[in-house]
Amino acid sequence: MIRIDRIHYRYRAAPQPALDGISFDIGRGSVYGLLGPNGAGKTTLISVLAGLLAPQDGGVAVDGEPLAAWRASRPTAIAAVPQDYAFYPMLTVAENLDFFAGVQGLSRRQRRDRCAAAMAFACLEAVAGRRAASLSGGLRRRLNMAIGLTGAPEVLLLDEPTVGVDPQSRRFMLDAVKRFAADGGTVLYTSHYMEEVEAVCSGVAIIDHGKVLAAGPLEELKRGGAPTLNLGFARPLPEALVANWRARFPDMGVRDNAVDFPRFPADGLAPLLAELAAAGLAVERAEYGAPNLEQFFMQLTHHSLRD
Amino acid sequence: MASSPFRGPVRLVALWKKELLALVRDRHGLAALFVMPAVFILVMSLALAEPFSTRQPAAIGYAVLDLDSTPVSQALDEQLGAADFFEKRERPPGEADARRRVEAGEAAFVLIIPRGFASQIGSNRTPSLRFLIDPAVPNTLREGFRQQVEAAVIKVWLAHVLERLGQNLMIPELRRVTERVGPPEIHTEAVGRADGEVFAPPSSVQQSVPAWLIFSMFFVVIPISAVFVGERQRGTLQRLATQKVSFSLVLAGKFVPFVLLNQAQAVIMIAIGRWLVPLCGGEAFSLPDGAQALAALWLLSIAVSAAAVGWALFIASLARSSEQASILGGAGNIIMGAIGGIMVPRFVMPAAMQPWTRLSPMDWALDGVHHVMLRHGGIVDILPAAAALACFGFFALAAAVFLGRRVRC
Repeated sequence: MIRIDRIHYRYRAAPQPALDGISFDIGRGSVYGLLGPNGAGKTTLISVLAGLLAPQDGGVAVDGEPLAAWRASRPTAIAAVPQDYAFYPMLTVAENLDFFAGVQGLSRRQRRDRCAAAMAFACLEAVAGRRAASLSGGLRRRLNMAIGLTGAPEVLLLDEPTVGVDPQSRRFMLDAVKRFAADGGTVLYTSHYMEEVEAVCSGVAIIDHGKVLAAGPLEELKRGGAPTLNLGFARPLPEALVANWRARFPDMGVRDNAVDFPRFPADGLAPLLAELAAAGLAVERAEYGAPNLEQFFMQLTHHSLRD
Repeated sequence: MASSPFRGPVRLVALWKKELLALVRDRHGLAALFVMPAVFILVMSLALAEPFSTRQPAAIGYAVLDLDSTPVSQALDEQLGAADFFEKRERPPGEADARRRVEAGEAAFVLIIPRGFASQIGSNRTPSLRFLIDPAVPNTLREGFRQQVEAAVIKVWLAHVLERLGQNLMIPELRRVTERVGPPEIHTEAVGRADGEVFAPPSSVQQSVPAWLIFSMFFVVIPISAVFVGERQRGTLQRLATQKVSFSLVLAGKFVPFVLLNQAQAVIMIAIGRWLVPLCGGEAFSLPDGAQALAALWLLSIAVSAAAVGWALFIASLARSSEQASILGGAGNIIMGAIGGIMVPRFVMPAAMQPWTRLSPMDWALDGVHHVMLRHGGIVDILPAAAALACFGFFALAAAVFLGRRVRC
């Protein structure tokens, strides 16, 4: 449905492009994950898809038609749901929905129907008359999403829609995203919660420094990842040993008493375990095999902090 | 997708409705727009009632210490009392007591008539008198009292001269000439543009209602920036942009409700001046007669709104936080009010400072209002002020659009 084709965008006075030849496809009725470290270019790409920024090179096509032309005939077909609570705290839930439906130019009847549908979708009927300022974090997230649905969009751009909510609200949001896709909607979903992405997304694009590092069906990507070794210990590792390993395995990650070795060769397992035995270190837990999404993501983007 | 055939107007109405709802729920903004000017109008109209009045300032009192105690000095005392401008207080027994009374604020002035005053008058020598004055009394009042004393002395001296002349010429009636001739009757009229009509001078409420109304209209900066900065910080403006709501449309959505709000302010403040101020003991505010004058005022009010809302949108676009907007907008308004003749009337300022008032849009607005309210002019007379205000609003709005686009890019 959506073809992102070699998009290039560079902000004025920025030394590096924010998007540097990004390309991938999103199928209709799918939930597609967009992953990347902070500053990778996710927000810029969403801004391009939402029509806020025009790519300086390349383009986006929807159903074979350029994005701008496609949107001109369907002004409300793409809705962006930002990470911020982008609504009016002094208005009630119903007033917020009515306002955002109104600024899309919907007639009175359309507004009434769409607002009722969006409110039902996000289960907000019980709080329709409450001011948004008095809502809990979970209800605010639901209102934020419901506003995005007032235009009955075909494509939903969700930017970290579950930040700061309790597990129940998160589960509700993920189910809502799945329902939207099951009804034929297409979702581009960005999140830093990898388990969420694994739970709802059928495809994923991982980007960094404005480039696509990997894109495609989720399971295929994970299968294509190099095997990862994960070891857990009862006590912290000696610093000398960690330094030694770092020199030999630069991609290695250390967290608490656990160590990740991305792209670890199978024939290296026995020597490493022998090395641990010689050092008198007991392994509490060991995992070896295809990486999960987080491990795959870390393999591609490396472990270093970005900001 | 089937959208309404009236998409543009529907969007604008949605923006207006949201703005009005946000406004009526912003208690601080409403207080700044309605309570503050109402209090200002009430307080300033009552506080400045005396300086604008032609009647005597009751609070300014004087006493006479007559050390001469002659019929001539008593005549001076009586003449001064007959002027009926300052309030005469009880005669002090001596100079020490006179000083104490001035220090205590019981009398603003004490006139000391020294011994030998009558003989100075009788021998046609320049009489000498002494004043004790309260340093807190303004110079204009001191000067007024001095001139009253001078006039009274001249009258006493004239009576003496006429008496002597009457004696020499054997015409005793000459003495009574000064008794028959009272002070001249002076009728005051304000100069207006309407030909042949006579107008009463303006009262304090006629001055303060327009001045504080203009000042308060510029305080739309508080509610506008509160909503606007919040919209930017919460990402609502970005969200509206993704819904193809242009920044110009967002500004248009704010412009009209706040112009209407300004008009509501004007009506309410005029009502306060007309009905509430008299209830509190002040004079009632009155609008000029005639449809042309009212149309001129309405046109001017729209121009002030355009300037105020344009200015508010510029400040809101410039500020990064609502605190910054309140400081920038509030301080900007106070400076405009200070140099624009709102807080201190232009004619009271030193001559070197008066041209600077022209820098303030509030001065342009006040000038226009004075043309209608005090000089009884019409639409033609306020056109320059209205045009200047509209241009100011337009350029401020253009700057806001420029800043807004820069931020959103």
